[in-house]
Amino acid sequence: MILPSLIQVLTLGVSETAMLVPHADTEPVATSDVVVATQHWWAGFILYLPLISLILCGLCAAMKVKTKLPAWITTACLLGSFVFSLLLYFDYGGSPELIPILSWINLNDAGGNFAGFSANFTLYVDSLSLLWVMFVTGLGTLITYYASEYMEADLGKGYTRFFAGVSVFLFAMVALVLADNLLMLYLGWEGVGFASYWLIGYYYQRPSAVAAAKKAFIMNRIGDLGLALAIYLIWTTFGTIQYDELIDVLRNGSWKEAYEGWTIDAIPWFLMLAAFGKSAQIPLYVWLPDAMEGPTPVSALIHAATMVTAGIYLVARTYEFFLLSPESLHVVAWIGGITALVAATIGLAQYDIKRIMAYSTVSQLGFMFLGLGVLTTYGAAYHVFTHAFFKAVLFLTCGAIMHGFAGQLDLRKLSGLIRIPGWRITSIAMLIGCLALAGFPLTSGYFSKDAILAEAFISQGPGFEALGWIAIFTAFLTAYYTFRVWFRVCAGKVEYEPGDEHHGDDDHGHHGGSFHPHAPRFAMNFVMAVIAIGALVAAVPYFLDTKADDALTGGWVADMVHDSTAQGGLPGLDRHGQSIGDPVEHGHDVHHGDGDHAHPTILGMDPHMAMYIISGVVGGLGLLLAAWLHLFRRQDADRLKAALQRHWWIAWLPRAMERKWYVDEVYHGLIRAPLWVASHLMYAFDRFLIDGLLVDGIARIPRMIARWFQPLHNGIVQSYAVTMAGGLALIALLMILFIQFWKVGGGG
Amino acid sequence: MMLIASAFGQLALAHYLLLSGVLFVIGMVGFLSRRNLIVMFLCTELMFQAAAIAFVAVGRYYYDFSGQVFVIFILTVAAAEAALALALVVLLFRRKPTLNAEDWRDLSE
Amino acid sequence: MIWGWILLLLPIAGALGVVGSSARAAKSVALLTTLATFGVSIAAAIEFKVWGSGDFGLVSSIPWLSEVGINLSIGADSVAMMLVLLTTLLMPLAVLGSWTAVSERLKEYYGWLLLIEAAMIGVFLARDLVFFYICFEFTLVPMYFLIAIYGGSGRARACIKFFLYTFTGSLIALVGFLYVAWCYAESTGTWDFEIATLCTFAATELSLGQQLWVLVALVIGFAVKIPLFPVHTWLPLAHTEAPTAGSVILAGVLLKLGTYGIFRFVLPMTPDAVVEWAPILGILAIIGILYAGLICWVQTDVKKLVAYSSVSHLGFCVLGLFALNPLGLQGAVLYMINHGLSTGALFFLVGMMYERYHTRDMNSIGGLAKRMPIWAFFMVFFVLASVGLPGLNGFVSEFLCLIGTFAAGESGSYPGVLGPWFAAFAALGMIVAAMYLLIMVGKIVFGALKEPVNEDHHDLPADLSPREIIVLAPLAVLCVLLGIQPGIAMDAMDGSINETLAVYPDIVKGAIQQVTDAGSTVLRGGMNQ
Repeated sequence: MILPSLIQVLTLGVSETAMLVPHADTEPVATSDVVVATQHWWAGFILYLPLISLILCGLCAAMKVKTKLPAWITTACLLGSFVFSLLLYFDYGGSPELIPILSWINLNDAGGNFAGFSANFTLYVDSLSLLWVMFVTGLGTLITYYASEYMEADLGKGYTRFFAGVSVFLFAMVALVLADNLLMLYLGWEGVGFASYWLIGYYYQRPSAVAAAKKAFIMNRIGDLGLALAIYLIWTTFGTIQYDELIDVLRNGSWKEAYEGWTIDAIPWFLMLAAFGKSAQIPLYVWLPDAMEGPTPVSALIHAATMVTAGIYLVARTYEFFLLSPESLHVVAWIGGITALVAATIGLAQYDIKRIMAYSTVSQLGFMFLGLGVLTTYGAAYHVFTHAFFKAVLFLTCGAIMHGFAGQLDLRKLSGLIRIPGWRITSIAMLIGCLALAGFPLTSGYFSKDAILAEAFISQGPGFEALGWIAIFTAFLTAYYTFRVWFRVCAGKVEYEPGDEHHGDDDHGHHGGSFHPHAPRFAMNFVMAVIAIGALVAAVPYFLDTKADDALTGGWVADMVHDSTAQGGLPGLDRHGQSIGDPVEHGHDVHHGDGDHAHPTILGMDPHMAMYIISGVVGGLGLLLAAWLHLFRRQDADRLKAALQRHWWIAWLPRAMERKWYVDEVYHGLIRAPLWVASHLMYAFDRFLIDGLLVDGIARIPRMIARWFQPLHNGIVQSYAVTMAGGLALIALLMILFIQFWKVGGGG
Repeated sequence: MMLIASAFGQLALAHYLLLSGVLFVIGMVGFLSRRNLIVMFLCTELMFQAAAIAFVAVGRYYYDFSGQVFVIFILTVAAAEAALALALVVLLFRRKPTLNAEDWRDLSE
Repeated sequence: MIWGWILLLLPIAGALGVVGSSARAAKSVALLTTLATFGVSIAAAIEFKVWGSGDFGLVSSIPWLSEVGINLSIGADSVAMMLVLLTTLLMPLAVLGSWTAVSERLKEYYGWLLLIEAAMIGVFLARDLVFFYICFEFTLVPMYFLIAIYGGSGRARACIKFFLYTFTGSLIALVGFLYVAWCYAESTGTWDFEIATLCTFAATELSLGQQLWVLVALVIGFAVKIPLFPVHTWLPLAHTEAPTAGSVILAGVLLKLGTYGIFRFVLPMTPDAVVEWAPILGILAIIGILYAGLICWVQTDVKKLVAYSSVSHLGFCVLGLFALNPLGLQGAVLYMINHGLSTGALFFLVGMMYERYHTRDMNSIGGLAKRMPIWAFFMVFFVLASVGLPGLNGFVSEFLCLIGTFAAGESGSYPGVLGPWFAAFAALGMIVAAMYLLIMVGKIVFGALKEPVNEDHHDLPADLSPREIIVLAPLAVLCVLLGIQPGIAMDAMDGSINETLAVYPDIVKGAIQQVTDAGSTVLRGGMNQ
């Protein structure tokens, strides 16, 4: 009798989870075109496999495995994830699907008094999440394989921990991307932040790494706060946090019936805060450059290709909210544009190649936000896609250099790598990455960046045209600092100095005086080559027009964004409520696509065509400038800097750029230091005022009273007895008097 | 004076109360005037019994047995207390061979 | 039913057994007793047929002072049963956790531990007010001795402060209780101390003014226990000085007596007054969250930091309680359990570190991940649970408390008197929590290895022993389980919570109506929709 009851108790709540449908009365209701696709139950493996990998890595750690086993486990599991996401892509029917996995937080409707709540582990598969999950798992697999070689110096020390962290990251990232509700997205959101904390702090004995990890987590938490508040707002406004229901309500406008208030306008601002935190935009970008303290594969995977694009994903996913209050989109565009410019200027002045890449990531993320802000979700998504490849390859090559030159990252101390045997693949891969990042014509970055830039001139918004020119100028800077790295490090004559990092293996031989860089071997070369090819091939989707819909430009990526929640940002499609000032109007198209609007033009040309030309020219100019200053006449660069520093009115500029515009210092002075002082004051307040004065003070009162009566306590028993008897007599007397008086009073 | 006069006429409640009062005063005077701990303790017992007599008498007067119940309570408590008190006195005596209450003033510290 | 009585009496019998056995056998007896109690509580949970409904299970009553309406009546609703399970789970771990830490006066130590277990179970099982109060107060006695005998260097001051402070608070609560009972006797002519009866009576018969006084008395009593700002100052002191097991019990269960008291008495007894006063209590809770959080930031004593973090964390719990909707209340009750698990574990961990290094000073210790990787793993794990990382338990409860508070606007699906501003400020606590806990982790777990010279010879291994892992592992497993399947607990407690809240929507709407009618502005943080 006990056993069945035990099972009943233990499975209480789990009983529902045993079913595939999460909760009896919160079964996902398929709204409009969303279908519950239980036949795709195996899609859950995209999520499970990284988890399995984590558990296996945990076992490896427990059994103190000293081989590369954890790397192979992780690579295999992630490859499995990738294969499943490909399968899902090919089996995807075209309309969004819900795939229930497990119930999570459910509250029933309490007898009509209160509404229920539900957030489950259910996958929401649409083309947007498919796009993301494919490149996340794909690049994840490749970079893990790369890391199997890169991290080998730590075999038996932190090797397992590293791959466990990567598994956590992939799990969280997949959860973020495939979530069907904002709470599960939040799980992934914080999960990737945590994985990033884990991996940035991988070298936990280095104080700078610990500090960077902490900074990343706390900065991300500020963004998370925004997301949390956005979730609360969405919940109180719409009573649901599931995408399908939200999109449905937002698109059919039924929410307007009983709605009066301010919440709907507040939602995008909080979402924006969240996105800016995760995607390192002004003012929350300072954690990303510091995050380079982590091992380079981590920087490539998390801090360049995947995690930092979660902010873009969030905005794309919740684009309908942004369309409802256009001012928020203008802010997104401007913040994106300014971040792009500021980060690029900082990138100009750095010497650490990994940091340059980090700032260029911030800058490129700024471009993506600019794209979102100027109403081109597909441009942003495409740039995310191409950036994932070329930035990953740039980081991986940086990693290879760091690995081979004992941690050397200073571009002044490296030169002519392409001429050193064994470094050719690295150098060429880096060149491809640089070309794409610089937006060199016909590379992938060229097309994706143009999609954004052109739209800045096409869309109507406050100062968008100026923003467009800022972006073009930034593109010029990008081309310059990118090739500054390549010309310095890979071209020129062979010259190098090793770094000061001892990897633990002695084949560097720099104890003996001469230093031999050890070139990347198969795993690293293979991965760099594959991703470099990917960076080239990423241009192809631009020309793939799978839907054969001629209103749709942008090819495959535009297709992927189409039919997703972000479709409001597609050119030539019916957009929802984007007309400024009136979120009610539907289907009002502000720009090209229908042919009946006058196209804005740049210098008298069609914007797209003009942009192809302008950005090509600008990219070429940047490249040439870099070639002049950093390849042919390197001494000119130093002379230029010296010349700048001679004039006081300009000298601050390079210095400020080098010191990252003093943002860290400003944060420290404006937020951290005052808070720190306030905390100390509070602690003093707590100890001396509340505890000391109030609590102990009150406790002291009885003692003070006692002191008055102390003389009575002389220790002689008889004197106590006399006092007692006297007191008794006094009371008796009073009572008699009182009775008498009362009697007299009553009688009289 | 009327009270005492009637008291000699008939054995009434007042007689018992008088006895109780006298006993209590004797106990109290004894407690205050003597210095020996054991004697002082005996005096407290006297006061106890005074209270007990008053209880029984009043209980009988009102035909309410609560008074007698309380007496039994008092007896029990007194017995327990006697045991404890005597034990304490013995302990004190072991520590310092005197039973004079004034010699134990330092116990108040 | 018999299970409840066994639950109550088994630890007492165990305490007698410990006192009767030899000092060497004391801890084994205590371990066996606590394990047996845990087993019995599982059995009771199985026999407890009312999961998910609002009824009481394990109901049983023995007449005691029936003439004045006092009986030994026990029984538990699902919330109380959950807390009983938490208690019985933590106790064997507490015994195991003190296996090597306590080396003298063993019999008394384990005797007190078992007695406090009985008292805590009694609090949760009581259906009679007097019985409840006796148990509630009796928890102080063993804890007093645990701190006074086995505590740190400042234990004398700490134990007296702990005892007097919480005792004074409870006395004020007692006045409130007696007032309600007296009103009941006045109006019906008979005394009755059945909790349910008194709650119904107070909620329906007392005027708003009377309820306000009762609320003030009860809240003062329970706020000291929770502890709510500004009556929290006993806690850091008591925690710092208490032995590890004492801290674990204190954080794990004793603090929950305060929030449980609010759930069991304040909410059902004085609904009108609660609606009136919830914003003020909410503000106190928010001040507590941020204030204690910032204080944590500047602590150098790890244990004190964790103690202050309890003040901060329980602010969320109080906020959830006064959100007056199922989201907040579910969150609050889950918070009680989750805080017990994760903070209890943190105290264990700090204790394990202290046992090895005899210091808790964050400046003299660092980089322990190198020396004690398993310990570091658990430390980071429970810190993350505490910070509220989604997927672990802390997140679910924190999220529910906050969304409940946020949604508790004046109208809409969740009538309530808190609202977005309350939640927004409280949510800042998420950042503060991340700040102080990660800084703590960064200092003691990571960084360059820094070990104080420890002259004392101890026979503990450098890293955790299997015994210590056994102490932590169940807590970690539960953290994960409740993080991904909170439904296990939430569905079980659904009924009780809805029952408690059933009266509130109308009262809230009535109160809002009154306010809008009067056109006055009251301290309210709702969305002025």
